[in-house]
Amino acid sequence: MILEALEREGVEFIFGYPGGANLPIYQHLPEHPKLKHILVRHEQGAAHMADGYARACGKPGVVFATSGPGALNLVTGLATAYMDSVPMIAITGQVASTQVGRDAFQETDVIGATSSVTKHSYLVTNIDQLPRVIHEAFHIATTGRPGPVLIDICKDVQQADAERINTERLDIPGYQLNGHVHLERAREAARAVANAERPVILAGHGVLLSHAESELREFAEKAGAPVGTTLLGIGAFPVNHPLSLHMTGFMGTGWNLKAVQNADVLMMVGMRVDDRVTARLADFAPKVKTFIHIDIDGSEMGKNVRPHIELVADAKNALEAMTPHIGELHEGRGQWFSQIDAWREEHPLKYTHSNGHLQPQDVLIDMYRRCRNEAIVVADVGQNQIWAALWWNYDRPGLFLNSGGSGTMGFALPAAIGAKFGRPDAAVWCVAGEGGFVMTAQELSVAVEHQLDVKIVLLNNFSLGMVRQFQDDFYGGVRSQSELTHMPDFVKLADAYGMPAVRVDRFEEIGPAMDAAERTKGPFLIDFRIDPEANVYPIVPLGKSLNDFWEAPDK
Amino acid sequence: MSDQERVRVLSVLVEDGSNTLSKVSGLIRRRGFHVRSISVGPSRAAGRSRMTLTVDAGHAEVDQVRKQLERLVEVVEVEDVTGQYVHSRELVVAKVSASEVAGLLKRGAKVLDAGPDGTTVEFAGEGKDVGDFIDELIQHGVLDVARSGPVVMRRTA
Repeated sequence: MILEALEREGVEFIFGYPGGANLPIYQHLPEHPKLKHILVRHEQGAAHMADGYARACGKPGVVFATSGPGALNLVTGLATAYMDSVPMIAITGQVASTQVGRDAFQETDVIGATSSVTKHSYLVTNIDQLPRVIHEAFHIATTGRPGPVLIDICKDVQQADAERINTERLDIPGYQLNGHVHLERAREAARAVANAERPVILAGHGVLLSHAESELREFAEKAGAPVGTTLLGIGAFPVNHPLSLHMTGFMGTGWNLKAVQNADVLMMVGMRVDDRVTARLADFAPKVKTFIHIDIDGSEMGKNVRPHIELVADAKNALEAMTPHIGELHEGRGQWFSQIDAWREEHPLKYTHSNGHLQPQDVLIDMYRRCRNEAIVVADVGQNQIWAALWWNYDRPGLFLNSGGSGTMGFALPAAIGAKFGRPDAAVWCVAGEGGFVMTAQELSVAVEHQLDVKIVLLNNFSLGMVRQFQDDFYGGVRSQSELTHMPDFVKLADAYGMPAVRVDRFEEIGPAMDAAERTKGPFLIDFRIDPEANVYPIVPLGKSLNDFWEAPDK
Repeated sequence: MSDQERVRVLSVLVEDGSNTLSKVSGLIRRRGFHVRSISVGPSRAAGRSRMTLTVDAGHAEVDQVRKQLERLVEVVEVEDVTGQYVHSRELVVAKVSASEVAGLLKRGAKVLDAGPDGTTVEFAGEGKDVGDFIDELIQHGVLDVARSGPVVMRRTA
């Protein structure tokens, strides 16, 4: 019954793990060869694989887990998907409906434990609810602002059978999608950008989710407005476009932050305007006279920054409605562009290339050259993530995946595996620090089992680099518990899982190691032993304003 | 922002379900809001209940309370009735030791039962009247008080 419903929803892959409370589902799985089940090694891996799959191919990722610890192991993965608006369906087994509330074996209140990290959730205690619930769940997960939906199904219900229902009609009174763009406000917003002396557009993940990249580009070009992206918005606007400001936020580029802090009109599209974007909120974009906020989720309006013009709409629809009303541009635009160019010259991205150590940027630049703006790069969390975000001129959407809102270490490897299942045609590179990598390294088994062409670029700096950097700069230089002194030999670790790997210590070895990775069919790991003192720049000191960003020291 | 301005009164129509109350209260807690009072009962529509919530927005923008509630799939409709032209009624049921309760009756209380151990009375009214009523109870040797949160209805005229 459940598996048939999943087939009807067009599910191709399920990332899961069996256990006592979902055995009735697994018993019938072999009867459904169209549903390809990927057996993970830990449920968190399943959630991140489903997440990476969804981010890479746009279809909802599906996860199975058993009750109690199985379901609880999904929580971090659900939170990651929830924060970044990724469509996912988690189907968890629950103890029999007659056992609920009796502290039965492996019983946990999964709805209670996951309500805050899911878009919606259902506890199914009666078979009659099930067909409607599954169809509704896919609808809710994939429409509007996408997100994970959890269905907790009691074991006795899994064994029952139900009438197939007409799944065409859905009536969810509490779930209404925002339809029409407020045309008067769209016109007002377009005119406000056009009339601005110093306009800036910031684009977030919502632009990618709504596939509004070309609409954004058309609007920006006609309105003569420079565009920066958030970390999750990378790919929404080509970095080498003359109007590009690259990445914003507290580790954004200097010229982006200068532009944001001096803008008179700031238009924010498909983003949450969180603290990593604003830094100290009271000093965020202080010269702005008109904030324009476009987002499909009305609760984002004024949550952090109160907009003067708000458009609760899909980014594509909103931008389409705005572009025809741009009209004449403010005459000061040329001067604004010259100013931004001057900032770009004054505050370039830079790093110390030759201090005797292997530099992470050199590794990534070599990798990206091979990616040719076609490969998918999945980054973990920490320094590796920001280096990967900043050191490439992304010009297309969907090529850079990472855990932005939740900042979940251990995301990259399973998400890269999921991405490869979702986009078998694309090369997939996994960039991770050694700290995050070992959090979910057991999923190497999955990469080897399915001989997935996932190339792992380990930026090994023998520490929790971002934590170490923060401790050095903001916590009195006390390196407390941030040095990873007893880590595995990663080449041997890969070998133990049955996959090839090499170690690289010197700049000259980058190319040959990358060549070997590209030549090899299936997974490949390169343990890059990078400069343990390498830092992320620019960076805004914690608690400071975007004006106060630090740049890489000249050495 | 003053204490008063942070408090919103919301009339919320919800789908009945075993998770609804915990989802509403969980959302209020994790967004940093505080519930001052809550009343729930069946609505006119089958399968739906009407909640009347008095919520302090805490450090959030006040309209976030309504907007966040609207995101819940279980929530069908949210009406912010703060300071609106509404009837707002609270119910109090109290047990006093006195057998002579004329002062309470004068305020509009109703005797539910009376015996040698005391008298049980009920009173309904606006929040301020209920507060005054409870103050008055003290003079009658109050033994126990149960008080509902407000329920509200937009005025007809």
